[in-house]
Amino acid sequence: MSPVNTHLVLDGLQVSHRTPDAGTSGKPLLSNVSLSVEPGQFVALVGSSGSGKTLTAMSCLQLLPPGLAISSGSVRLGDLDLTRASEHQLNSMRGGRLGMLFQQPKRMFNPNRTIEQHLKEPLRLHAGLRGSKARSKALELLEEVGFADPGKGIRAYPHQLSGGMAQRAMTALALAGQPGMLLADEPTSALDKVLERQILQLLDRERRERGLGILYITHNIASVAAFADRVLVMNSGSIVEAGPVGELLTRPKTDYTRELLAAARLAPESRRRPPSRERDILVLDGVGKHFGSRRKLGHAALQDVSLTLKRGEILGVLGQSGSGKSTLAKAIVGLEAASTGTISRQLDAAGPREATAVQLVFQEPHSAFDPRMTLRTSLQAPLRPRLDLSPEQRDERIAAVMAEVELDAALLDKRPGQCSGGQLQRATIARALLLEPQVLICDEATSALDALTQRTILNLLLRLQRERNLSLIVISHDMDVVRYMCDRVAVLLEGRAVEVAETKDFFAAPRHPHSQALVEASIPCRADGLWSVLDVAKP
Amino acid sequence: MLQFITKRTATLVAAVVVSSFAVFLIPYFTPGDPVRKIIRSRVAGDAVDESAVQGLSESLGLNDPLAVQYFRWLGDFFSGDMGLSFVSRTPVAEQVLPALSVTLSLVTMALVLAAAISLPLGIIAGLRPGSTADKAITAVTQALIAMPEYWVAPVLVLVFALKLSVLPTAGWNDLSSAVLPALTLALRPISFFTSAVRAGIIDAAAAEHVPAARARGLSQGQAVLRHVVPNGLVPLSTLFAVWFAGLLGGSVIVEVIFAVPGMGRLLFDAVVNSDIPLAQGGVVVVVALAVGVTTLADFVHRFLSRTVGASLA
Repeated sequence: MSPVNTHLVLDGLQVSHRTPDAGTSGKPLLSNVSLSVEPGQFVALVGSSGSGKTLTAMSCLQLLPPGLAISSGSVRLGDLDLTRASEHQLNSMRGGRLGMLFQQPKRMFNPNRTIEQHLKEPLRLHAGLRGSKARSKALELLEEVGFADPGKGIRAYPHQLSGGMAQRAMTALALAGQPGMLLADEPTSALDKVLERQILQLLDRERRERGLGILYITHNIASVAAFADRVLVMNSGSIVEAGPVGELLTRPKTDYTRELLAAARLAPESRRRPPSRERDILVLDGVGKHFGSRRKLGHAALQDVSLTLKRGEILGVLGQSGSGKSTLAKAIVGLEAASTGTISRQLDAAGPREATAVQLVFQEPHSAFDPRMTLRTSLQAPLRPRLDLSPEQRDERIAAVMAEVELDAALLDKRPGQCSGGQLQRATIARALLLEPQVLICDEATSALDALTQRTILNLLLRLQRERNLSLIVISHDMDVVRYMCDRVAVLLEGRAVEVAETKDFFAAPRHPHSQALVEASIPCRADGLWSVLDVAKP
Repeated sequence: MLQFITKRTATLVAAVVVSSFAVFLIPYFTPGDPVRKIIRSRVAGDAVDESAVQGLSESLGLNDPLAVQYFRWLGDFFSGDMGLSFVSRTPVAEQVLPALSVTLSLVTMALVLAAAISLPLGIIAGLRPGSTADKAITAVTQALIAMPEYWVAPVLVLVFALKLSVLPTAGWNDLSSAVLPALTLALRPISFFTSAVRAGIIDAAAAEHVPAARARGLSQGQAVLRHVVPNGLVPLSTLFAVWFAGLLGGSVIVEVIFAVPGMGRLLFDAVVNSDIPLAQGGVVVVVALAVGVTTLADFVHRFLSRTVGASLA
């Protein structure tokens, strides 16, 4: 339908650091990246974090971060050479013929402007719509991306939207300029499976109906198998492998691709039976949490949640964003007092040790550490109240947990900014282990990490659980993580535990309609059954 | 939002009551008995008639409990009866209100001037941190902090009034006489506003939603105008109010030097002459106004920055 040619071609693209004299130097961040996305094609670009995927997208838009520059190669959109285009040409291209859909939608909106003000920008710039015409088009777009009440959504400020709604609004924003080519940079990695599938289906519909070309950047192989035609694999700034999706996923040629695929295949491990004879270490009885003033019972984040956790057990807590998962974690650790119900602990420790015997591993490793402190200082903090330990014993303990999470002790003198996400997530686990917990609560502990790193962290947790006989609560929106790790699964929906079942039974026959929707969404919708290749692609 | 306004208004009232009580207590902490002072000022000789002391105390209501005296004083105060000045024997309100209007115009002019100068400077510096322009702007505006008003004012008078003879040396007659005092008063706010605007702009420009806006097709200039500058200026509303409140009582030096008949000058004279009713009246009016302005700024800030509201809710 699009009359303008929007065939995106990258040819031998190289991106390097810019030197002060406008030249470039050092090892290139992207080297010899060549790819082609035709209108109507769904091309996936996969690779672990830091491999240069986002940089590739930003090069297409000619919006590289300051200090980086394209040192050779070309980017063409149809007949237009973007590396040589004027600023004016680029401005009419960006958001117009070439759209971009960002990850982490909340940070990509101006917090002080409404969704309407955001949507009106591309509508004015690329469709020439103003005033009430722009408004009705904006409403139409919001409806299209699945806003139940576009009239309310359009007046909302970004912080008033849930993560899923924000991602939908971001999608509407990317589609507002009627792009012929869309760069979708991990548009769903912060979303749960149900929302992920809805967003991807929406993009796929645009592709089928009006020939939208999509460059889908992701580290989620399952969604690639479900939607993409072609796959490009990127590692350290180069494309190491490319091919049609069926071929590449079934017969990967490089070790790196095989590793990626293996990491994505969080197939259910042959887990032992849940420890039935162990005693309950944690009992939640009718736990509720209301926010708001005392007089007026506000929004209920948790309602009447009753759960038990046995010693040595791994319990998964599944739920969509906003279902009360994090509130539950905080209530168990004691960071938030429950409004109703009781949480009783039957731990071996007593006194102050009892208080620290339940530890929390936080979600975003980068915000779980003080950026100004070295890891050593951060790790010393939990030991500070332990007056019975000598300085040497403290150092020994820190060294021991660092070894336990397989981190080099040299990292202790680094600051969070100098560490990778995976290293920091190990450090948060190390910090939690310092106080010798009996229960470890992992609140989306791996959702900020790419598949390869995620896999190693999950395996680390499993090993620690075995060696220390820990009880784990794994809170996640990721069905694969829960299936991989857990003995039992609890499903939270709007603050209620609607189903608790053994993992095997849960995935075989979920009882609650919401669980059924979750389980169903975790299996991709593609008719040709490409999902199964993930189970046969042996490393 | 309604709850927020009610809360802040309650805080405002509490602040005024507490500070006015402190001001009310001033005479009780000054050495000497005011009743005896008054009598001594009317009667020749050192001996004071004890029955006259009793009578005067009674007629002034000084034998009542402190709380009763305070609320009577506060009630009188806000119905416009601020008492008589010891020195001029005229109602305090008649002196405070004109002085207040002079100071309000002076402070408003100073802050408008400061904003007009520091907004462009801060924006230029903040958009290109580390550039030559940024370094020059930062150096000059930081140097302004180190220049005390009692030094700047005479220098300005020397240059503009005495050497160039373009502006009057002192007084408060027309707009030209307001230029030098307003400029002197504006110097430190210029410095603080510029660095606040600069920091705000740097923060706002680093936000990830700015490249996202560029990716929608906004030019660099449009993105700066729509998404960087407005967001960068939000913190300024509070700073502006704090300075407004601060200058209401802090313009003493400038008013004394330039002979401006404002609140600073009035309070200065009241203190020098131990004119307690005048000082009390002036201080309570300034405090009430200062607290009112800061509260108003909270409302404005809350309106400008939607996320502040979200984090409070």
